[in-house]
Amino acid sequence: MEPLLTIEHLWFSFSPTGAPLFEELDLRVETGDFVLLRGVSGSGKSTLLRLICRLQPFSKGRILFKGVPVDALKPPELRRQVLYVAQIPSMIDDTVKANLLFPFSFSVNSDKQAPDDHELIRMLSDFYLQDITLQQPALNLSVGQQQRVALMRALLQQPEILLLDEPTSALDADSAAMVFSIIETLNREKGMTIICVTHSDYRPETVEPDLYILKNRTFHRL
Amino acid sequence: MNNLPVEISFWQLLLGLVFIFIAQITSLLYHLGLNRDITVGTIRTFAQLFLMGYVLTFIFQLENVWLTLLVFSIMVISASFIVKGRVREKRIPYLLPTILTMFISYFATAFFVSGIIIGVDPWWEPRYFLPFGGMVIGNSMSALAIAIERLFSEMRQQKNMIEARLCLGANYKEASAEMLRNAISAGMIPSINAMMGVGLVFIPGMMAGQVLAGADPLQAVRYQIVIMLMLVGSTAMTSFITIRIIRKRCFGRGEELLLSLSR
Repeated sequence: MEPLLTIEHLWFSFSPTGAPLFEELDLRVETGDFVLLRGVSGSGKSTLLRLICRLQPFSKGRILFKGVPVDALKPPELRRQVLYVAQIPSMIDDTVKANLLFPFSFSVNSDKQAPDDHELIRMLSDFYLQDITLQQPALNLSVGQQQRVALMRALLQQPEILLLDEPTSALDADSAAMVFSIIETLNREKGMTIICVTHSDYRPETVEPDLYILKNRTFHRL
Repeated sequence: MNNLPVEISFWQLLLGLVFIFIAQITSLLYHLGLNRDITVGTIRTFAQLFLMGYVLTFIFQLENVWLTLLVFSIMVISASFIVKGRVREKRIPYLLPTILTMFISYFATAFFVSGIIIGVDPWWEPRYFLPFGGMVIGNSMSALAIAIERLFSEMRQQKNMIEARLCLGANYKEASAEMLRNAISAGMIPSINAMMGVGLVFIPGMMAGQVLAGADPLQAVRYQIVIMLMLVGSTAMTSFITIRIIRKRCFGRGEELLLSLSR
C-alpha cells in the first residue's frame, strides 16, 4: 500500500546557482504517524513543509501524496488535504466565528457543511478556549489563543496531514503546553497524521514520534 | 464681439517667466533645493510643448490614419514607461500586459468618443482623436500607476494572510480578492472625485481651452461632460483588466505567491 506521503531524492536551493538546502532528501510518512523534525534555524525545516504543500516550487526530486506527485494535484485540492499551519497565526479583522468559518466560502470546500455554533463552542473547549466567545474580535486574542484558533480552523477542514511549522515558537510556556497537548490528542485519539517542525527540545509524552534531525542537507533519524 | 482668442506674442510669453522667478526665489529663500528642477521643468515645458505644437500642425496637415495611430501608439508606450517608473516591484513582469491593455482600452475609448458619440468623420480625424486619446492616456495612466502600486503593496503587506488562505484551500483568486478590489477602487476614486468637484471647485482644462478659443460655453460643457464620463470608463476598464492580469502573474504554477517582500 502506498504511504500517505513520500519524499524521494528531494533537492532544493533558493537560487539556481546557490548551494543546496537539501540534497537527496527521502522520507516516508504513513497514516497516523507523528513525525517530529528538528534542526537549527536555517536548516530548512520550514522550507520543507512549504515545498510539501507547494507554497514554494522545487526543481529536483519528487513529493507524492497517496502515490500522486503533488504537482499533479490542483493546489487547492492538495492544500486542503495537506494543511500547513504557519508559525505566526493570521487572523482576519472579524469575529472568532468568522475566522473559523471563512474557509467554507472557498470553492474547493463548497461540498462541505459548516459546523453550527453548538459544535464550534464544544470545539473551543477542546482547544482550551472555553473562556472566549464566538463573537469576540479575533485580533484581540493573545497570540497563544490565536494559534489555537488557527489550529481549530485547520482541523475544521478535516485534512489528512497537518503540517505544523514551529507551532509554539511565539508562545509562552503555558500556551505551548496547551498546543502540544492538543496536537498529541489529535494524533492519539483521532489518528491525525502530523508533521511538526521545531527547534525546541519538545518530545511528545503521550505518543511515540518518528524523530528526525535535519542536518548537513539531509535527514538523520534519532 | 471678436470670438478669436487674443494672441500671445513671444515677449508676452517670456513675461510668463515671472511666475518661475517667484518659484525660484521661494526655493532659494527656504533652501528647498528645487532650483535645478524648476529650471529643467521650465525648459522641458517650453521644448516639449513647442515640439508637440509643430508635430500636431504637421499631423493635422497630412491627415493620415497610420501616422495618427503611430502617434497614438507612441503616447501609449511612453505612458506605460511612466507607469513603470512609478511602480517599485521588480520581480513580477507586468509591463507587456500593461502596454497591451492600455493600447486596447484607450483606443476603444477614444474611438467610441470620437467616432460614435461626437460622430467625427473619419473617426481618426487627428484634430479630435489625438486630443481625446491624450486626455484618456494622461488621466488613466496616473490611475493605473496608483492601482498597480496599491496591488503590489497590499499583497506584500498581507503576504501571510494570502498564504493562510491558500493553505486553507483558497485558489489564488479567492486568496487575493480583497487586494484586487482595493487596488481597482484606489485607481478609480480620483476620476470619480473629479466628477464631484468639476464645475464647482475647478474649470477643467479642456473646457477652459475651448472657452478661451471662443467656443460657446454650453457647447464646451457638453464636450467636457463627455470627457469626464470617458475618463471614469477608461480608468475602470484599464484598471480592471490590467490588475487582473498582474494579479495572476503574482502567483506561480502551484498558485504560490511569487511576490518578494523586499523591494
